[in-house]
Amino acid sequence: MEYGELEAGQVVSRHSYCLDSALVSNYVEAVQDGSGLLSDDSGVELVPAMAVAALSIRGVVEDLRIPGGTLHVGQEFEFSGAVRQGDSVDCVATLAQNSVRGDWRFLVVECLVSGEDDAELMKGKSTIMIPADLGPREVGQ
Amino acid sequence: MMRKGDSLPTIEKVITQERIEKYARASGDFNPIHIDREFAESTQFGGTIAHGMMVAATISEMMAAAFGRDWPESGGMKIRFRSPVKPGQRITTQGSVRRVDVSDGVRKISCSVSVVKDDGETAIAGQAEVSLAEVSE
Repeated sequence: MEYGELEAGQVVSRHSYCLDSALVSNYVEAVQDGSGLLSDDSGVELVPAMAVAALSIRGVVEDLRIPGGTLHVGQEFEFSGAVRQGDSVDCVATLAQNSVRGDWRFLVVECLVSGEDDAELMKGKSTIMIPADLGPREVGQ
Repeated sequence: MMRKGDSLPTIEKVITQERIEKYARASGDFNPIHIDREFAESTQFGGTIAHGMMVAATISEMMAAAFGRDWPESGGMKIRFRSPVKPGQRITTQGSVRRVDVSDGVRKISCSVSVVKDDGETAIAGQAEVSLAEVSE
């Protein structure tokens, strides 16, 4: 990955995920969410909003091979629809900004999450700082 | 009904390395700054740190506790990660309503939100908003 070659407007990640009960329970256990899951009008449990947000970033981390030492410095979200357990979502991430300041490269990535009917469920914007002197490191080690 | 100055429910947690590793598996974010002690000790943090999104999840939990389903259906937040949270640290959310606007039958509630560590340092600070259908009192 040559981060300097990434251009604003470029789609950097596109993935689909099914938010099944196993994924949701792993997430809830990890964040120790003790509030209990919300349900929709028909009693189907809803996915915690931040679990959807975390998934939206997952593809970016994997596809950009974000190197060790990268810092996540800012995050914005707008939720526009709850996701039910068992639903599938599409996550598309687009690079909005790529700049260098001092020893750091700043990447701003916008994520759009939509449901099976293409309805928008979440928009997000992540700002990350990559050490300019570090090369990409394989994730998942 | 929430009014300006009202406090949001407080959420408290202790961050552990075990939870960080669970979050890495749940989120797919295996950045070694979170899970590789040897690597993390060589960084400016001197050890592993929690994922920012893991810490931010407590703000979302606070907003869901305060606003229920309106949060995932119409919420939003803008936050800055100000300082890292290390394993063993206790974190506490803080939130208060700073503005309520009513327009076209919708009550938009804007809140100041933060996560503070047990050493008094702020880990996350920002704003969150949620829109509620206006119900006459």
